[in-house]
Amino acid sequence: MRLLRELSRRKLRTTLTILGITIGIWALVVFSSMANKINALVEGGSEYYADKILVTDGSAFGTAPMGLESADAIRDLDGVAAVDAQIQLLFDEEAGVSFGIPELIIGAVPGADEGLEQFQLELATGRMITPEDDGDVVVLGSTIATARDVAAGDTIEIRGRDFEVVGTLQPTLTAPDTTALVPLSAAQEMFIETLPPLITDSVEPEELVNQIVVYPDAGADVDEVAAQIEGAVANSATLTGAEFDEQVGASTAIFNAIIIGVAVISLVVGGLSVINTMAMSVAERTREIGIRRAIGGSRGRIIRALVAEAGLIGLIGGLIGLGLGALVVVLANEAGRAGGTVLFDLTPETALFAVGFSTILGMLAGVIPAWSAARLDPVAALRYE
Amino acid sequence: MALLEGRNLRKTYRLGRRNTVEALRGVDITIEAGEMVAIMGPSGSGKSTLMHLLGLLHSPDRNHGPAPEVLIDGQSVANLSDRTRTQMRAKTMGFVFQSFNLVPTLTALENVALAGEYAGASRSRATATAREALAWVGLAERADHRPMELSGGEQQRVAIARSLVNEPALVLADEPTGNLDSGHSTEVLGLLRRFNRERGQTVVLVTHDAEVGAFCDRIIRMRDGLIVADEPVAPEAAAA
Repeated sequence: MRLLRELSRRKLRTTLTILGITIGIWALVVFSSMANKINALVEGGSEYYADKILVTDGSAFGTAPMGLESADAIRDLDGVAAVDAQIQLLFDEEAGVSFGIPELIIGAVPGADEGLEQFQLELATGRMITPEDDGDVVVLGSTIATARDVAAGDTIEIRGRDFEVVGTLQPTLTAPDTTALVPLSAAQEMFIETLPPLITDSVEPEELVNQIVVYPDAGADVDEVAAQIEGAVANSATLTGAEFDEQVGASTAIFNAIIIGVAVISLVVGGLSVINTMAMSVAERTREIGIRRAIGGSRGRIIRALVAEAGLIGLIGGLIGLGLGALVVVLANEAGRAGGTVLFDLTPETALFAVGFSTILGMLAGVIPAWSAARLDPVAALRYE
Repeated sequence: MALLEGRNLRKTYRLGRRNTVEALRGVDITIEAGEMVAIMGPSGSGKSTLMHLLGLLHSPDRNHGPAPEVLIDGQSVANLSDRTRTQMRAKTMGFVFQSFNLVPTLTALENVALAGEYAGASRSRATATAREALAWVGLAERADHRPMELSGGEQQRVAIARSLVNEPALVLADEPTGNLDSGHSTEVLGLLRRFNRERGQTVVLVTHDAEVGAFCDRIIRMRDGLIVADEPVAPEAAAA
């Protein structure tokens, strides 16, 4: 209480200092929330790709058609345990520009992974697709389901066709959230419509896939298997778990560097402004410090009181910064949810770190002026006007 | 044994490279327990410097003279750390200043309690004794006022309560009436006198006001950094 009274003596200056810290912590909270989201996506992706090899056509960003016969060729290779030939295409016919990951349709034959898929999806409502399904049925990822407010039993229009929603998934914080799972046959029919007539005339829809998920044998050398696949299937490109981590890890590292940068800037700016405020406050209170020292206040007490005051400035700035940051995160997520783009994830760890960081920052910045205050000669300080 | 003894006290302040002031040039002083002593002299005579040395706010220096010594209750304080000296100030001394020197953000009660806390009491214990001390000086009902809301005389009475709250062996008062009109001066001096008489509180005060000096048992006169006279006040004058 006495501390608050001390701060309220210098309302304008204290407010400006708190504002400086608030801005730093606000930026820290917002960027960290974004990093949390992206790191969760990347972690999910890296978990998803860890135990498999993704094979696509090497010529056109992995969306060009491949024949089902490629899957059969891969199945015969050494070290391959299961092959899941799929169709992947964009949920919307006309892809808009958006941040985050686009919504996808994945058509696959249920059970083709032969139980080797380690990334387990959990249902929120309804059921999974079964091999018996061959009509227009769909299991929706949580983000798609939430954005369109549908659950098992509803109907949803995808690329001009009415699909019956048989199930929706629990959030995973990564790719499956923005994925619609359909039977392979339905995806093939939609996929062929995206191809130029020249090609569509010469192939049957049920012969088409555009990505093949390969599960290697336990203990097989994944890179070796990937090399074999590239040799066996003309024009194919493979992506292993290690390659995924390498590619995505680089971009995550840049992002994390930005977060550290923001933290360092807020540390320097906020810290300097606390030092400045506390140094002026000490100068103003020179006489008072002289009184306290003269009547028996120890150096330790003087330092403790001033450091606590500086820490309180940091704590208040941190709490306000966290509040404003949380507000931005909630509003941006609310606005983004309609477009299926949830960019921020403010975790309790991030919140605690931000407030703890600014409090400790304030205290550390307070140490220097507090130390100089404690070193004052009480007699000289008493004469100070 | 004397409560307070100073031997060979010298103090030289260096104001510039070639500008030094010999504020004290070798002073011996003895204060007995229960005395009320005035240190008098014109400005620059060294009386405040002497008080700072006796109050452990500064240390004497040698300046080519014999080794100085300050003894409190027979114990030398020469080699004590800042921490220990601060502790001694908190526990065995009370300070009253010319310009009151209360902490402006704290209430009268909190100002008095501060001295108790510095001497090691818990905040609640210190607050309780502070309330008592304010009652001694007749300011119980002004306890929750800030210094700004009190008159000069009232502020000085708060300062006296603060100096007495730990029942210290020694109260050091530097021009305690310097900023007060004669009515409030008499009141403040009366309080110090009363505590000296009723509780045997030792009081050393610095003043250049002869009327204040006449209130005390003994007057030490200083000039140019030396003690030039040390004589008791006639009993009838002190009683007045």
